[in-house]
Amino acid sequence: MTAAVTAVAGRGGGDERRAPSILGRFGAVFETAEDAADVTTFDALHRARTLAMEALFFNVDSGYLEGIIRGYKAGLLTQSHYTNLTQCENLEDFRTQLSTTDYGNFLSNEPLPISTSTIADKATQILVDQFNYIRSNAVAPLSKFLDYITYGYMIDNVVLLITGTLHERDTHELLERCHPLGWFETMPALCVATNVEELYQTVLVETPLAPYFRECLSAADLDDLNIEIIRNTLYKAYLEDFHAFCVSIGGPTADVTSRILSFEADRRTINITINSFGTELSKEQRARLFPTIGRLFPEGNNQLAKADEIDQVRAVCESVSEYRAFFDSPSGAAAGGGEDGDAGIAAALEDKFFVAEVHLNKLAFLQQFQYGVFYAYFKLKEQEIRNLTWIAECIAQEARDRIQDYIPIF
Amino acid sequence: MAARVDNDYPSLFRSETMSLVQLFVPTEVAHDTVAELGELGNVQFKDLNPDVNPFQRSFIGEIRRVDEMARRVRFFASQIEKEKDKVPVRPLYDSAPLITVGPRVAQTMDDLDVTLSEHESRLAQMNESYELLSSRLRELVEARHVLRETAVFFDRAESNQSDIRTSFEDSSAPLLQHDDRENQFSSSNVQFDLEFVAGTIERARLPTFERVLWRVLRGNLYMNHTDIAEPFVDPATGIETRKNVFIIFAHGDALLAKIRKVAESMGATLFPIDANADKRVESLREINGRIEDLEMVLYNTGSTRRTELAKIGENLSSWQDVVRKEKMIYETLNFFNYDVRRKTLIAEGWCPSRDIITIQLALRHATEESGTSVPPILHELRTNKTPPTFQRTNKFTEAFQTIMDSYGIATYQEVNPGLFAIVTFPFLFAVMFGDIGHGMIVFFAALSMILYERRLARADLGEIFGTFFYGRYIILLMGLFSIYTGVIYNDIFSKTLNLFQSGWTLPEGNGTVTGIPNGRVYPIGLDPAWHGADNALIFTNSYKMKMSIVLGVIHMTFALSLQLPNHLHFKRPLEFWCNFAPQMIFLQSIFGYLTICILYKWIVDWSKSPIPPPSLLNMLINMFLSPGTITEGDTRLYTGQGFVQVVLLFLAFICVPWMLCVKPYIQYKEMKKIQEQGYMNLGNGNGNDDEAPRRSEDLEGEEEGNGRAIAEEQDEEHEHHDFGEVVIHQVIHTIEFCLGCISHTASYLRLWALSLAHAQLSEVLWDMTLANVLGMTGVVGVVAKIIIFALWFMLTIFILCIMEGLSAFLHALRLHWVEANSKHYEGAGYQFMPLSFANAEEN
Repeated sequence: MTAAVTAVAGRGGGDERRAPSILGRFGAVFETAEDAADVTTFDALHRARTLAMEALFFNVDSGYLEGIIRGYKAGLLTQSHYTNLTQCENLEDFRTQLSTTDYGNFLSNEPLPISTSTIADKATQILVDQFNYIRSNAVAPLSKFLDYITYGYMIDNVVLLITGTLHERDTHELLERCHPLGWFETMPALCVATNVEELYQTVLVETPLAPYFRECLSAADLDDLNIEIIRNTLYKAYLEDFHAFCVSIGGPTADVTSRILSFEADRRTINITINSFGTELSKEQRARLFPTIGRLFPEGNNQLAKADEIDQVRAVCESVSEYRAFFDSPSGAAAGGGEDGDAGIAAALEDKFFVAEVHLNKLAFLQQFQYGVFYAYFKLKEQEIRNLTWIAECIAQEARDRIQDYIPIF
Repeated sequence: MAARVDNDYPSLFRSETMSLVQLFVPTEVAHDTVAELGELGNVQFKDLNPDVNPFQRSFIGEIRRVDEMARRVRFFASQIEKEKDKVPVRPLYDSAPLITVGPRVAQTMDDLDVTLSEHESRLAQMNESYELLSSRLRELVEARHVLRETAVFFDRAESNQSDIRTSFEDSSAPLLQHDDRENQFSSSNVQFDLEFVAGTIERARLPTFERVLWRVLRGNLYMNHTDIAEPFVDPATGIETRKNVFIIFAHGDALLAKIRKVAESMGATLFPIDANADKRVESLREINGRIEDLEMVLYNTGSTRRTELAKIGENLSSWQDVVRKEKMIYETLNFFNYDVRRKTLIAEGWCPSRDIITIQLALRHATEESGTSVPPILHELRTNKTPPTFQRTNKFTEAFQTIMDSYGIATYQEVNPGLFAIVTFPFLFAVMFGDIGHGMIVFFAALSMILYERRLARADLGEIFGTFFYGRYIILLMGLFSIYTGVIYNDIFSKTLNLFQSGWTLPEGNGTVTGIPNGRVYPIGLDPAWHGADNALIFTNSYKMKMSIVLGVIHMTFALSLQLPNHLHFKRPLEFWCNFAPQMIFLQSIFGYLTICILYKWIVDWSKSPIPPPSLLNMLINMFLSPGTITEGDTRLYTGQGFVQVVLLFLAFICVPWMLCVKPYIQYKEMKKIQEQGYMNLGNGNGNDDEAPRRSEDLEGEEEGNGRAIAEEQDEEHEHHDFGEVVIHQVIHTIEFCLGCISHTASYLRLWALSLAHAQLSEVLWDMTLANVLGMTGVVGVVAKIIIFALWFMLTIFILCIMEGLSAFLHALRLHWVEANSKHYEGAGYQFMPLSFANAEEN
């Protein structure tokens, strides 16, 4: 925490100082652009002006929080931390090792046999505390932006509860498993609903998810397939809405966030495609689940909607240079053939998606005066918690050979 | 012993001579040795395994065990803290010490571990049963509330019976069918066939609950709720929750099932309530009985738990102490190198050279304590590493030293400005704060803090007062010096003291009269006749301004002179000739000359002089702008002034290239010479030649095996010498000094400004308050005087003493940090941080 605070002090001052010089530079752009009034310079002018405005006024509302978030980011575990963690003999070592990082003594009051779930819970609690701190200090439009981040977790929670209720799990157990960031107060009542209409009318109508849910109302019954469709429809609407919101903020926020959200959309599109092979989901239904943003949209999405096997997916991804590498390495697994090969590819793909996501989120920190860092930080922290849980799980289950399979962040 | 101690007594002039010592500690006495050294608190151990992960170090097992014990002790402490009635914790100085050294240490720790875990499990068990019981009790209490509140609903409904009847008869067929069924029951409760759900829910959730229910049931419900007045307290966390009783009437099993489900998922507690009033009364009675029983049991559990906590409280602070010390000991042991072959631990650390004997005694003591015959062996290593800076302070000098340490820790063995700050700091403060009355207030405040030192030191004072308490000796001296400067300014609460005969006689008369000198000289301080004079401000301004310059130049000259002992001590003749000498000449030829002129101008009786008094400011300006020319009547001070000033100016200008060029040039020559001799850039060449021959004799008398260890000590700190860097550094240094001389001298004018502000402010305060009521007579006068005096006194303390005092403190601080320290202080050292149990206690 000390580290974070110093970082804030350092950064805050730096931002203040930098702002006028950027204005000066773009002030010059305005003058030269006044003469040549063609479209491109107008565009440049516009961009420069928004950027200059961002730089001028960003810190008034969000400078402090950006400082905080960059301080938090400095506390993310580095490669050397991970190396040390993977060498731990048991979870006590793990705890000792973590106590030298920003996690500090978050486990020190736990009685001794520590379980991996305790570690994950406590780490998530740190994430949630950080988020709540940022959220309670934010003003519009950053507060709205942060709210959008929680909607994703809300969707997950809603789907978790519906599925759980469908399979007649204990409600309280389900509620405990919900992500705290996606908590909303009428959430527990979800388990009463037995069909989609009721779900909407009873609970979701007053949540921010209501507009997303309206499109799912056509689905008749709650069964596993329909829930999956609901989840993806919700996500599609959410991503599109979030994307539109970011674009409406404009400036570097739009640039940075839409890059990350586009990837998120493409990832969902590809996953939906691969997972729908061999299920009763029709191709029209599948096409309807694809988000209408992303780098594969529209022609890639169209081709994916018609795809029947994984090679076609691969061909579509060829068109985007960054996605080309996703299907490269597991050729050996694919050669194994059949269902098993596809599953192998899907698993390997998942890891590669995570790596790509981490990379994109890291890029967000290269630019200042934008909200993308907030999204990126919480995603990175989430990934870090996944990594910690993975390593802890490997240590607990003595699965040392797979301990290196975490996604390094820094 | 090889310790070269410069003087017999420790002084603040330079930091202590430090020695790098190596300890060979047999494993069996390692723990006791470190414990002994921790009590002694003057060895700073180096981490000899910086590359080893914390969990791969030798004593990690012990640290874990201590951590676990610490967790238990923290658990006890938090339990005791949470207890509403205060459980007495016996303070550390009162408890019997746990012996954790000696041959039985392992068993003591084992016993302690067992005791702690026993207490923990007992306490946890009691907590569990207490929580179980109290949650059961809470449920019963809730049930009672539900019963009582629902009874109110039912009673109200009963009184409205007739209305309900009519409404029933108006309604449609299905309800009438119910009428048939109701007829089987007694007529009194005929109207309560509506099924209902009753229970309690957290108040915050009630609106949501109501809303969700309304939507789920499409409005087909009748809900009633009331607040429960008293809050429910969670025994484990102490958090209060407030709850509401609700009762919901609805129709049909499906709807009721839905209500139940929603209620359960929203965290409500449902209670089965009978519609029959008699049964309700009966169950209320039953519940009341059970509540009484439970309360009894709960009380017993609570009191046994309290006894247990009280037992824990007896020993808690000694446990905390032991656990803390043990953790420090094992963490220190982890710094040591473990030689498996010889079963010894090798430690290295810094310690003050003069303490080596004490440390050896401690080592011997530790050996005796632990009951073994193999003593730890200590010997001194020679090293090129810079030792840490250790200023041996006491409670008086500590705060002064802290002022300088917060600017920068002195380089090892550098002259320590903290010593001189003991006098200069309160003095410069007092120049700004000079007032006998305010000085006395400050002085007595500090004195009382010092007299009650012991009691105050033990109490928790809070951050603000704690800071004042920490600086009590500074404040004491500041008060004392302020009284002195107050005497010089002849100022007491903006009034003056007329202790001796004034040197001026004021003729009788109205309006403005001119004082006539009567040949007497007021022996000390300002003549009281100046007080209230028309030109008092002009006089004091001129006096204080000149005094500030004089003090400033003296302070800067003194600070500059402190370079001298540094250069002599570190044997840097080059620095002396190329930095100190020109700097001194530069400063003295301009500002030293100004000071002498000021003093001379004060000495001369200008009323009898043939020439008019000159303006010193113009004189100084003209000295630069038109050297050699003196205007009569404006800048003429003495004969031969023109020539003297030209010479001084010439000296000052000579100094600039002198500072700028000579040192880099000589260093360049030296570098050339070394390169011509065929040596390349290896080491820094000036310190190594005298090291080698001394080694053998230094280490004589050491016990054994020391040759090997020294060979390992070759990782010296290399200083990279780059000619370009030297030049740039020197240029910056020169410019900084020359400009600094001017701006720093001007900066001392703050002494005048603050002193003036202080005097004026206290005068204004007097005039606005007390001066108005002093003339009043009668009862009104007495009352007004009391009230206004209180007001005046409060304002004097808060504005003039505290606020003005802080501001003067700040400016004195700045004058020391910037104006004085920049003249000589390197401040590039690092603090000596010995392993000390006493220090850790404070944190």
